[in-house]
Amino acid sequence: MATQSLTLPVPEATAPPAKVQQPRRKFPVGKTAVTTAAAVLAVLWLIPFAWATVTAFKSETDAASPKVSWVPPSGFTVDAFAKVFQDGNIPLWTWNSLYTSAAITVITLVISALVAYALSRIDFRGKKILMTVIIASIIIPPPVLMIPLFYQMVGLRMIDTPWAIILPQVIHPAMVFVLKKFFDQIPRELEEAAVMDGATRMRIFAQIILPLSRPILAAVAIFVFISAWNNFLWPFISTNDGSILTLPVGLQTIKSAYGIQYAQNMASALLAALPLILVFLFFQRQIIKGVATTGLAGT
Amino acid sequence: MSSPTTTATPRSSAIAPPARIISRRRRDNINGWAFAAPFLAFFLVFLVWPLLYGFFMSMTGKSLTGANDSLIGFANYAEALADSDMWRSLGNTLYFTVISTVPLVLVALVMAALLNVGLPAQWLWRLSYFAPYLLASTVVSLFFTWMYNPQLGLINDSLSKIGLPKVAWLNDPNVAMWAIVIATLWWTVGFNFLLYLAAMQNIPAQHYEAASLDGAGAWRQFFSITLPQLAPTTVMIVLLQVLASLKIFDQVYQMTAGGPSGSTRPVVQYIFETGFTGYRLGYSAAISYIFFGLIVIVSVLQFFIARRRSA
Amino acid sequence: MRQLDIPTGKHVSRRQLLAGSAALGSMILATGLTGCGGTANAAVHDIAFWHLLSGGDGVKMQALISAANKMTPGAVVHPTVLAWGPPYYTKLAMASAGGRPPELAIMHASRVPGYAPGGLIDPWDMGLLAEHGVTAADFAPRIWEKSQHNGQPFSIALDSHPFVMFYNTEVAAIAGMLGADGQLQAPASPQEFLETAREMQKVTQAHGLSFGYLGSGSQMWRLFYTLYKQHGAAMELTPGQPMKVDRDAAIESLEFMASLFDDTVAAKSGDISTGIAEFARGDSGMLFSGVWELPTLQKAGLPFDAATIPTLYGTPAAYADSHSFVLPRQLNVDDGKRRAVYKFVSDVLKGSLSWAQAGHIPAYQPVVQSQEYQELTPQIHYANAADIIAYDPESWFSGSGSDWQTFFAEHVQNVLLGRDKASDGWDAFEHRTNTLLSRPNPV
Repeated sequence: MATQSLTLPVPEATAPPAKVQQPRRKFPVGKTAVTTAAAVLAVLWLIPFAWATVTAFKSETDAASPKVSWVPPSGFTVDAFAKVFQDGNIPLWTWNSLYTSAAITVITLVISALVAYALSRIDFRGKKILMTVIIASIIIPPPVLMIPLFYQMVGLRMIDTPWAIILPQVIHPAMVFVLKKFFDQIPRELEEAAVMDGATRMRIFAQIILPLSRPILAAVAIFVFISAWNNFLWPFISTNDGSILTLPVGLQTIKSAYGIQYAQNMASALLAALPLILVFLFFQRQIIKGVATTGLAGT
Repeated sequence: MSSPTTTATPRSSAIAPPARIISRRRRDNINGWAFAAPFLAFFLVFLVWPLLYGFFMSMTGKSLTGANDSLIGFANYAEALADSDMWRSLGNTLYFTVISTVPLVLVALVMAALLNVGLPAQWLWRLSYFAPYLLASTVVSLFFTWMYNPQLGLINDSLSKIGLPKVAWLNDPNVAMWAIVIATLWWTVGFNFLLYLAAMQNIPAQHYEAASLDGAGAWRQFFSITLPQLAPTTVMIVLLQVLASLKIFDQVYQMTAGGPSGSTRPVVQYIFETGFTGYRLGYSAAISYIFFGLIVIVSVLQFFIARRRSA
Repeated sequence: MRQLDIPTGKHVSRRQLLAGSAALGSMILATGLTGCGGTANAAVHDIAFWHLLSGGDGVKMQALISAANKMTPGAVVHPTVLAWGPPYYTKLAMASAGGRPPELAIMHASRVPGYAPGGLIDPWDMGLLAEHGVTAADFAPRIWEKSQHNGQPFSIALDSHPFVMFYNTEVAAIAGMLGADGQLQAPASPQEFLETAREMQKVTQAHGLSFGYLGSGSQMWRLFYTLYKQHGAAMELTPGQPMKVDRDAAIESLEFMASLFDDTVAAKSGDISTGIAEFARGDSGMLFSGVWELPTLQKAGLPFDAATIPTLYGTPAAYADSHSFVLPRQLNVDDGKRRAVYKFVSDVLKGSLSWAQAGHIPAYQPVVQSQEYQELTPQIHYANAADIIAYDPESWFSGSGSDWQTFFAEHVQNVLLGRDKASDGWDAFEHRTNTLLSRPNPV
């Protein structure tokens, strides 16, 4: 049952803020050892970032010098960043990633919430079958579909358009499941008054259910956005034109064009990494909660 | 947990007059399908259709250039089952899955356990462990290709500074897959770590208090309370990790392109190459379905193992 | 999940971090917005042009593009560079199949048979090209012939780039190998070649020949196919039939290659860059390499000259390929754009003297016959290669940067390393090729 309580988010609106658990217990034995171990891991995990940053601020000559150094002999410089902005399409690709991921997130939220509501609240014929089919489809890994989907996109003349990136990415059966479980927990009494007043299903959904579901909607949105932002395989297959590439795919092409320009490679990589890292710094709590609540159901 | 409420409410309406039941049913049918319609439309067009059409493609000689559309039955499957390159790439995928899942679960557990002790500055630890998960695969590959560089890379430089021999990380067929695993561990362990951390913090404190009164030390508490309480979470994490690892493509394609001499090429890359480099969409669709079959088998196996464990 | 909250009291440091990153973020955002706004100009044709040329070739190509852009105010050519080999050709095919490919692309002439029959590329309209003064007669016969597919010109060659021999003139002079004209006296048999190399080794005290091949199927194939074609032998790949090949000639060529790596004639093992570096240092007398390495060698500043690979088996032959322009098939052909493409291609052809400086032999004859080209050394010393070039045997899976060359490496590398017998390596490769030929032809 413990796993289920993970996929079932605690609705913040209703849950009492009682502190049932006590996270900071005293472990007098080995506190230093624990801190040391955590610190070693943290350093190991931060080194790639640090090394990429140092490299990006080196001159190409220093970066390619066989004498590996954290402090370059000829000092730090922003040349690599300047060159990347001058030659590359990083800002354009960032924009492409931003609007396609936003579109995917919005469409996914709307269509998933609607169907989840139907599955949670409305008794209609064929509901069980629909539920079973959606759950079963969680097992289908996207790579299995890449060949027919590509062929289909050719037929729809959508290759090298944003539609090819967006449309196939809005189906997240697991998210439907997460939403349905949340809706199930909302007390029905809240709707009954509205039903008495003769409110339509749509009004109940929009005015009662959705406002109560903000935490889970945010969690799903975060999860979907991160996966769309970082998706590589499908955008890589469905787009070729440099002006339409998303950031992860564009970065793959920049790599080959620059060849062995190490500082520029690292500058590009850092620029590509920056948006989500920044968002994470600002919304850390929500993102961690979002990933943890949707995570087990969502991958 | 919620199923009692879901089924209870419609039953209660059974006392309503028959005429209202009929009209309400009809309305529910219409409403239900109307709410499901938008999702269903996408679901049918971009998931069900490609799934079925892909199977049809696997029975044809369909090519990227449009040539050769003829139906050839199961010839593609027969060819694939005799294709040593396909078996090799499937083997690589399974090998990666096994050797990546173990550290991805264990390291995540260690990280979560360390933090659960209640270190100060929680946000900083979480940031360090989880931040790589927010990177695109391309960024991770750029970082690690650079660090693995045989002459100029940070890793080999550090190795030689402490007197160890240099390693041809991505160029040695015996090492390359491990290099990919290390990069993957760095990249995605933060996700499992978060799930573990959340699960640990859901363990009621009373368990620990009772154990403390019995005089159980930190280690004993971890092994007698934390680990058993985490068992269902572990089962889920392993299941998800196995499914995620089976899909390996990005890092390998970007860092080694499947090399050196095919030693890291996963089955998804083989599908990509037969279909798009070699034009043979029909044949690669057949391999996709063989791969899909493997995933279904693994999932079903895991499902039964998980059920037995939680039963 | 409340326990995941940030402990209070640690906020100060986090805020500082946030403020810093916010400043950085807004800076990037500002740059991004300006980057998005500047490209709207309706009157100009934007031509997307893909190529796979990096390094020195890439720089030269960029110069050619800039020059052509300056000459034609009505069109701007935007190059996209993708990684040489399978990544480039895969993406090009996918883009063409998708219907919105670049207006123009570079393709190795040897790859055209994999693209033309399936309709992934369109043939050139020679009438339109003639309007810009480029006709069939402007190309060397062998190259022109190669650009035809089913009687239509599917590619317009920019160059031919043969596999040649560079030699250190100082080393050759001391070894007494230079003729009266100051050029190397070419050995005429495998035995003579080995002797020449050994003489040079005595001078360099390291090796006689540099040839790096480890991990590169292309590199192994280039030398192999040169030697094989020097036997006067043919090689044909017809789907549905076993490969037509002179097995004895193939094995003899492989055995000769393997005999080079004895640590006297040539280093036992090394990759392409090791080989070039060795020759550039003066540690060998000869280098087998593509002409495209010429700028690298010139930069190294050693005294050297070049020639086609000596004819060791009777028939002059040089493995080569051509960088060629192709028209990926568009869903909707924009007439204005296509005209701009023709103009661009003719401009680049006429300006290909600078391409010759990068080592390639221009395909456009008026440039080859120009006084400037005739004075280019060492280019002019291997310009005769254009008459003896041998392209890869035609099939949908062969050609430069194809998986087929990777397969060659998988079976032949161990032969060159002395671990396998030449006949075993060859038979395995032939078997692999026959498997490919037995499979359905996808084009």
